[in-house]
Amino acid sequence: MACEEPRIGVYICYCGINIGATVDVEEVVQFAQTLPNVVVARSHRYTCSEAGQEMIRQDIRQLGLNRVVVASCTPRMHEPTFQNVLASAGLNPYYFQMANIREHVSWVVDDPAQATEKAKRLVRAAVARVNFHEPLQPRQESVTPAALVVGGGIAGIQAALTIAEAGYPVYLVERQPSIGGHMAQLDKTFPTLDCST
Amino acid sequence: MMDAGRHPNITLLTYSEVVEVSGYVGNFQVRVRQRPRYVHTDLCTGCGACAEACVFKRGVPNEYDAGLSRRRAAYIPMNGQAVPLKAVIDDQACLFLSKGKCTQACLEACPTRAIDFSQKERFIDLNVGAIIVATGFEMFDPRRLPAFSYGKSPDIMDGLQFERFSSATGPTRGEILTSRGEKPKRVAIIHCVGSRDEHANRYCSRVCCMYALKHAHLVRDKTGAEVFEFYMDIRAFGKDYEEFYERVQGEGVYFVRGRGAEVIVLDDGRIQVKAENTNLGLPVQIEVDMVILETAMEAPRDSDKVASLFGISRSASGFFQEAHPKLRPFHTNTEGVFLAGACQAPKDVPDTVAHAGAAASEALALLSRGQVVISPTTAVVDEQLCSGCKTCIVLCPYSAISFVEDAGVARVNEALCKGCGTCVAACPAEAITARHFSDRQILAELEALLVPA
Repeated sequence: MACEEPRIGVYICYCGINIGATVDVEEVVQFAQTLPNVVVARSHRYTCSEAGQEMIRQDIRQLGLNRVVVASCTPRMHEPTFQNVLASAGLNPYYFQMANIREHVSWVVDDPAQATEKAKRLVRAAVARVNFHEPLQPRQESVTPAALVVGGGIAGIQAALTIAEAGYPVYLVERQPSIGGHMAQLDKTFPTLDCST
Repeated sequence: MMDAGRHPNITLLTYSEVVEVSGYVGNFQVRVRQRPRYVHTDLCTGCGACAEACVFKRGVPNEYDAGLSRRRAAYIPMNGQAVPLKAVIDDQACLFLSKGKCTQACLEACPTRAIDFSQKERFIDLNVGAIIVATGFEMFDPRRLPAFSYGKSPDIMDGLQFERFSSATGPTRGEILTSRGEKPKRVAIIHCVGSRDEHANRYCSRVCCMYALKHAHLVRDKTGAEVFEFYMDIRAFGKDYEEFYERVQGEGVYFVRGRGAEVIVLDDGRIQVKAENTNLGLPVQIEVDMVILETAMEAPRDSDKVASLFGISRSASGFFQEAHPKLRPFHTNTEGVFLAGACQAPKDVPDTVAHAGAAASEALALLSRGQVVISPTTAVVDEQLCSGCKTCIVLCPYSAISFVEDAGVARVNEALCKGCGTCVAACPAEAITARHFSDRQILAELEALLVPA
């Protein structure tokens, strides 16, 4: 897989007017089409929408894409979304790269010409990078079915009881010789004036 | 408290501290140090005979009563209400353990022969999938603001000490009395001691307005004294809180809008409180016979140690940093480690319980899933190129790299590695690659970025 010729799809997002009002999205699409190994470049009003995701899935299947670049918002927001699109179309999710042309461009660059130039560069950088991506496999590890709660005040007691009630063993560690914490020192508690212990 | 003490799924490790944490989400190894109680907990019935017999009659300040009473070296914590209900011998206070001189009357007094001065600290190793940090807070020490004269008169107390006076289990069995043993006639309650103050903490400590109102109510209810509340604003934000404020107003408490500026103890012991009434634009000076300083919640002094033990960070206020202020308020940036309660920020009881329940449900989600996915974007060592210089091992902020003695090379634990790239940049032999952030990928990206489009 790694040695086959890259076939890259590039998707430029309007994000409604978030990107579209500042960046000339169609100009970026045309520019992307000229980049090496790019098979298709398209725009979408909301690439993260179900329709946008389906567009990418269709292209992967019909055009035989093996790399995908989306230029839209921050990867903190939608990188997992698009990685899942690749996975659902049978591609390794690490064949994906995102260019952030919203937080890094349209939201911070006022001049449309400069914004469009910066968006083009970020798209070209993402395309250049994705050529060298390699498939990676996440590992699965089993979980030890027990919890540690550090601190035996009202917070620790509440957390420990909730976990214990669900059937898991809990170790409740308290520095003092008794659990209870500050709560056990209080007389009554506001606003209902009920007893604290 | 009692429920947690007797729940079959909860193992209580009291008098204990976590000293070492290793591993990763789903598979943590934790070492706990348990201090010696010098009492066999399986034999001790919590009868308190040892405390009766302890010859150290003068004792030491009782932490449970915020220093207002004294306890002996052998004692049942929390004035006999401890969970677990077991005696402790405080080795700092015990004349035998600290000085080697005592008749050891407690040994004889114990009906079950539970006392054992030869006990040593012990270490307990635990394997857990999730960790909840619920280490709480400390109260601000008003000595740090000398204008309030805390410590100069027994009738100037902090909020926690007032709680102990008012509590039926406290030193006066719930009676609110001045140091002369009389009911107070005029009481000043000063808000925001150690909070909303650039000389102490800038943050609002969130609970003090409400507990100050509660104190005003308790003083009015139990003593009928005149109560003066010196406040900047009343922050009665929670469910039924505003109504409680109105109720206390209706009970005849005087509200003076202005921070209490100074508490003065006169030579004859009388106490004056000075402030500005900002509603009238006038200075106020009143004489009272009791002052309650409503102190802020603070991050405990050793929070930095706790933070580095569990790999969590702290906010500017000193409390532990959540992963996201709105969407991930009980997560940390270390997967599998969650925050519960006031260790994250000052909280009242309802918010603490809600926060802790949410942290528990996150931990449960992890435990019941049974599996964790470990991201593959980690560093990897090419063992052919590694010269075994160990440079990477000390630099790794996640302690994810270990040295394999037989092979003489460094090896990355992929479950611990966060892919930060520190080792990749530092390796003098260029033997480490960051998966998904290889030099080839990054250089291609840079070259394409730096040329005009």
